[in-house]
Amino acid sequence: MHAQQTVYMPIVIEVSGNGAVSGTNFRDGALMAIDEINASGGILKRKINAPVSDTQSNAAISRAQVQKAIDGDPYVILGPVFSGSVKVNMQLAQQAEVPQIVGAEAAEITQMGNPYVFRTSFGQQMSMPKMAAFVANGMKAKTVAFLWVNNDYGKGGRDVFFQEMKQRGIKIVADVSTESGQVDFAADIVKMKASNADVMFIYTNEEECARVLREARKQGVKQPIIGETNVISQKVIDLAGETAEGAKGHVGLTADAPIPAVQAFTQKFQKRYNYVPDHNGLKGYMGVYAVKYATEKLGKFDRKALAKSLHGMTITPKQEPGILIETTWDANGDVDRISFLVEVVKGRQKVVEILPKLGK
Amino acid sequence: MSLLLFSVLVAAPFFLKPYGIYLLSLWVVMTIAAIGLNLTLGYAGQISLAQGAFVGIGAYAAALLTTTGWPLWSAFLLAIALSLAIGWLLGYPALRVQHHYLAFVTLAFATLVYLMLRNEEWLTKGVYGVPNIPRPTLLGWSTKAPIPFYFFCLGILALVSAGTWWLVRSPWGRAFTALRENALRADSLGVDTRRYTLMAFAFGSALGGVAGVLYAPLIQFIEPTVFNLNLSLSLLLMVMVGGSGYFLGPFLGAAVSVLLPEWARFGSDALYLILYAIAVMVLMAFCPSGLLGLSERVFKR
Repeated sequence: MHAQQTVYMPIVIEVSGNGAVSGTNFRDGALMAIDEINASGGILKRKINAPVSDTQSNAAISRAQVQKAIDGDPYVILGPVFSGSVKVNMQLAQQAEVPQIVGAEAAEITQMGNPYVFRTSFGQQMSMPKMAAFVANGMKAKTVAFLWVNNDYGKGGRDVFFQEMKQRGIKIVADVSTESGQVDFAADIVKMKASNADVMFIYTNEEECARVLREARKQGVKQPIIGETNVISQKVIDLAGETAEGAKGHVGLTADAPIPAVQAFTQKFQKRYNYVPDHNGLKGYMGVYAVKYATEKLGKFDRKALAKSLHGMTITPKQEPGILIETTWDANGDVDRISFLVEVVKGRQKVVEILPKLGK
Repeated sequence: MSLLLFSVLVAAPFFLKPYGIYLLSLWVVMTIAAIGLNLTLGYAGQISLAQGAFVGIGAYAAALLTTTGWPLWSAFLLAIALSLAIGWLLGYPALRVQHHYLAFVTLAFATLVYLMLRNEEWLTKGVYGVPNIPRPTLLGWSTKAPIPFYFFCLGILALVSAGTWWLVRSPWGRAFTALRENALRADSLGVDTRRYTLMAFAFGSALGGVAGVLYAPLIQFIEPTVFNLNLSLSLLLMVMVGGSGYFLGPFLGAAVSVLLPEWARFGSDALYLILYAIAVMVLMAFCPSGLLGLSERVFKR
C-alpha cells in the first residue's frame, strides 16, 4: 500500500465544469475529515495521503484520473459525484478491486452488481419514493408540474418519480425538460404556470435550481415549489436569495439538521472554508470516516475485506463520532439513514419533519 | 521526422503505467479526428464546427453494434459509410456560404446530432448512455488490456496517416489546396470546385467517424454529452494550434489539447486549466498559423 507510513486515498472529483459546486463541497468535506484523522494519529497509526485530481466534469478525463489513481495502488478512491463519470470509471475500480466511495445518485449505479461501489447518499430509488409520499400525503396534491435537467441524473429521478405518481393516481400535468447549464428559464416557467398544477417540482443541478427560483418569482408563481435535495440546498439558497423562501422538499442530508453533531460539523466547515456546506460536504466527510471505522474494525488494510465488511455494516455516532448520523450500507452499497423534510425559512433550511430509516 | 515519431510511439507504452497508455490512446483517437478536420479546414479551407458530431456518429455506431454482438469492423464500415454520406450532404451548404456563415451551418448540424443522440431513446438509449462496450478481438488477439488496444489504435492511425499523406499529394489534394488558396482561380483553371468541396467534407467527416469507432471501446461507456459542441470546438482548437494545413499539425495540436492539461497538473486546484488557457491564447494571438507555422518562421530566419 504505497509508502508503508501512509495510506493512499486519492480524491477524484469535479473541481471544474458543470459539477464544480457538488465536487468542491465533497472534496472540502473529505479533506476536513482527513486532516482531523491525521491530526489524531491517522488510521491504524498511518497518516492518510489524499491528493485531489479534477475530472473537469468530463467522463473521458474522469476515467484517466481514476486510472491514474489505481496505478498508485490506492486503498480506496473517493469520488466522483457526477453519475455519468461514476459509470465510466466504476468498472476500472471494480477490475482493480478498489472500493470506491461515490457521491452519485443515479439509481442504476448500485444495480449493476459491482461489489466495490458505495454511495454516501440515497440513490434515487430511495429518495423519490419518500418525495412521492410527501407530495401525496403531506401536500395532498392531485397534480404535479415537473421540471428536470435532461441528463442521466435528471432523467433517472424523473422516471422513478413518475412511476411513483402513477401508482398513487397523481397526475403529471407538465413534464418540462431543460438543459444542463441553461441560463434562461422564462419559457419553461410559462409552461409550468400554464399547467395550473397543485405543486411545482424542480429537479436540476444547483445553479440551475437557483435560476428557476428567480424566474418563478419574476413570473409570480403562486404554487408551492418543491424539490429533492438540490432546490432546498444551502448553495441554491445562497444563489437564489429571498426567492428561495418557502421552497420545500426532501433531503437525505442537510447541514441544518437538528442534530448537534451535524451542527458542530457545519460550524467547523464554515469556519475553515467560509461557506455553508451542502449535502455533498457531509457526504465527503462521512465517507472518509466510514472507511476509517471499517478499517479499524478489521484491524488491517485489506481492500477486499473492507468492501466485504462495509456491505451490511451499520455505523452509529457512538461507535464513530465522525459518521454524524447512524448509517447503514446494504448489500448493493446503497445507504440507509434517517432523512429530513425541510422548508426554506429566512435563508436557511428549517427541518420540518424527520423521516425514519427504511430499515431494509 | 515522421519515422522518429512513429518509433517513439511504438516504444512509449512499455515505459508507461495504464494511465499514461490510456492518455496516449486518447491522443491517438483525437489525432485521427483532427486529421480529418485538417483535410476539410486546413487543406480545403472549409470551416467546420461539426467534427465532434461525426466522432459521435462513429462512436454510437460502434457502441450499438458491438454491444449487440456485431464485430467492430462492421461498425467501421457503417460509421465510414454514414459519415461519408452525411459529410457529403453537409458539404452542400458550403457551396453557397463561406467562412462565418458556414461555421454557423455546421454548428447547427452539430447541435442537431447531439439532440438526436440524446432524445431518440429508442435507438441511442438517450441520456443513460451505452455501458460495457467491448474491446475487439482481432484474429484471436484480444485487445482488452491497455497495451494491445493502444497498438490497435496506433495501427489505425498509421493507416489513416499513410492514406492522408497520399491523398494530399495526389491530384485531389492539390485540388483541395487550390480551393483553399483561391476558389475563383481554381474554377477558371477547370478544377471542379463543387465536387472537391463536397469531397473535402466527406473525407474529413469519414475520419471523424473512424475516430469515433475507436473512442467507444476506449472509454467503454459513451453518453451524448461527450459529443456536444465542446468536442467540435476542441478539435478545431487542435487543428489551429498544431498548424492548420500542415501534415503534422493535428498530431501536435491533439498533444497540446489532450496531454498538456494533464502535464500541467502540478497543483490540486483549477490553476492548471488557467495556465493551459493562457498558453493557448498567447500562442493564437502571436502565431495564428499554429505551432508548426511558428517553427517554420523561426527556421526561415
